[in-house]
Amino acid sequence: MSHDTALGRTSWAFAAGFMPEDSTGHEPEFTSRDELCLLNMTSSDACAEVTVYHPDRDPVGPYTVEVPADRVRHVRINDLIDPQAVPLGVAYGLRVETDVPLAIQLRHLDTRQAELGVAISSGVSGGR
Amino acid sequence: MKTAPPEACSEGDPRFTNWSGSVSFTARKLLRPRDEAAVAGLVRSTVQTGGVLRPVGSGHSSTPLMATENVLVSLDDMSGLLGHDSEAGLATVLPGTGLEDLGAQLDDVGLALKNFGDVNYQTIAGAIGTGTHGTGEDLGNLSSALVGGRMVTGTGEVLSFGVDAGEAPDSELTRAVQVSLGALGILTSLTLRVRPAYHLHRLYVMTHIDWVLEHFDEYAAAYRHVDFYWYPRSDLAQIRILDEPGKLDGIDLPGQVKREETGPSYKIIPNHRDLRFDEMEYMLPRESGLAAFREARERIKERHRAKVGWRVLVRTIAPDQAMLSNARERPTMTIALLQNAELEHRAYFEDMEPLMLRYGGRPHWGKKHTRTAEHLSQMYPEWDRFRELRQELDPQGIYLNDHLRTILGEEGHS
Repeated sequence: MSHDTALGRTSWAFAAGFMPEDSTGHEPEFTSRDELCLLNMTSSDACAEVTVYHPDRDPVGPYTVEVPADRVRHVRINDLIDPQAVPLGVAYGLRVETDVPLAIQLRHLDTRQAELGVAISSGVSGGR
Repeated sequence: MKTAPPEACSEGDPRFTNWSGSVSFTARKLLRPRDEAAVAGLVRSTVQTGGVLRPVGSGHSSTPLMATENVLVSLDDMSGLLGHDSEAGLATVLPGTGLEDLGAQLDDVGLALKNFGDVNYQTIAGAIGTGTHGTGEDLGNLSSALVGGRMVTGTGEVLSFGVDAGEAPDSELTRAVQVSLGALGILTSLTLRVRPAYHLHRLYVMTHIDWVLEHFDEYAAAYRHVDFYWYPRSDLAQIRILDEPGKLDGIDLPGQVKREETGPSYKIIPNHRDLRFDEMEYMLPRESGLAAFREARERIKERHRAKVGWRVLVRTIAPDQAMLSNARERPTMTIALLQNAELEHRAYFEDMEPLMLRYGGRPHWGKKHTRTAEHLSQMYPEWDRFRELRQELDPQGIYLNDHLRTILGEEGHS
C-alpha cells in the first residue's frame, strides 16, 4: 500500500494508563499490565517514539519502539526501563509519535483477582 | 625533596561525576602524571603539605571511593602493555590501561585475561582495586589475576611487590594490594596472570526464571561462564552461557535466543551498557546464594517492583586469597540490584540489604551499601593485618578520604 492510503495516524495520545501493582496467576502470562499495541499496515518499517506523562514529575522519554512493515507489535509498558521504569499503581499517560501512520491501542490486563479484567483504550489521534 | 617538575603532570578538569551520576564533587585539582617518577613526586609533595591524593579511574564506582576536595590523580596518561612473558603466563601493564584496550593489546601478542568483568570501560587498576568480577565457578575476580607490580606508597617510596620483587605471587603484600581501594598506594605497574588468547561462543536465551533456578547449578558446573538476569516485572530471565567454541554444540534451552555469537574472549565476555544505573551488589556463599535469590525475588515482587523495573543479575566467582576480597576463601554467588540512575534507589537497596547480610553477604566495595568498619571488620579475617599494612605504607593517611576512613575504621578527617 502506498503511504497516502495506509490506515492509521502518526500522533496518538492515551490518558488512561494505569498498571496495577498486584497480580495473580503465573507470570508472565498473568502479570497485570498495560500493552501498547501498534499495527503497521504500511510497507515501511515504523519507528515510534513514546513519551510517558506522570502525575508528579516531568514527562520522560523517548522510549523507542520499532514495528516492521505489515506487522503488529504489542509492547508491555511494564517492561519499559529505557530511559526510566514506568511506575505501577499510579496513573500515567502516553504520547506516541511515529514516522509512518499506525493504528494504536492500549490494552489493559488486570489480574488483581483471579477473574481477569481486560479492557482496550482507543487513543486520541492527531495529525495524519 | 624536590617535587615533580611541572611538565611531568598535566592538569585536567577537577569537576568529577561518576558514571551513574550519583557521586559528584569538585576537587581542588585533577592531575595526570605521565610516569612513576611523577607519581612519586606528587606523593612527596602531598606528604609535605598534608593533603590528600585519591586515584580515579573511569568513575564506574557508585560509592565515593574517589571523592576528595583535595587532589585527584588520573592515571589515564599511564596506559599500555609494558611487557609480557608468554611462557610464564604473565603480562605487565600500566595502571590507567582501559580493559578494552588491555584485551586488544594482549590479543596482539597472543594472550588474554582468564576473565573479564561485565563491562569493559574500567581501568585495570580501578577494576582490580575494587574486586571487579565476571562470572564462572572456576574463575576468580580480576583482582586474583594480580601477581605483582610496583606502587608508590604514602611516603613517596616506590615499592615492588609479588613477582616483581622476586617474591611469591601470593605474598602477603600482593594479597593486600589485590583488593585495596587505592588505600595502600598508587599502582604504577601491574603484573597479571594471563593465558593464551582464546575465543568464546556466547548464547543468551530468554526463558522463565523457574526453569533457570531449577537448572542453574547443572549449567554453571558444565560451562565456563553462566549467569542470569531476572526481570521482576515479567518473571522471565535471560540465562547467559559462554564457553570455548564447540562446547555449546548441541545445547538446547527452552525459550527465545536473544543473542548468539563467537569471537575473541575480550570482545565476547563484556557487555555494553549505555543506560545509566545505580547498583548494590552482595557476594554470598555459593551454597546459599540461590536461596537468597529466591527470597530476594519474592521480596522484590511484593514490595519494590511498583518502582523498580530493572533486572537483577546473578553470577558466580571462584574463591581467592586477597585480604579484602568479597570472594575470599569461599565459592561465591553474587546478587546485583540495579535501578535507573534517575530514579530513587535508596529505599529499595536499604530494604534488600538486611536480606543479603542475613545470608552472609559481603558488599561490593565499589557499589552502594551502608556497611561501616564495625560491620565490615567481621567479614574479613585479615582485617586487622590489612589495616596494619595500610598504616605502615601510608602513615600520614594521604590516600584516605572520608569514605575510606568510614569503611576502614580510621580516625580523622580528610
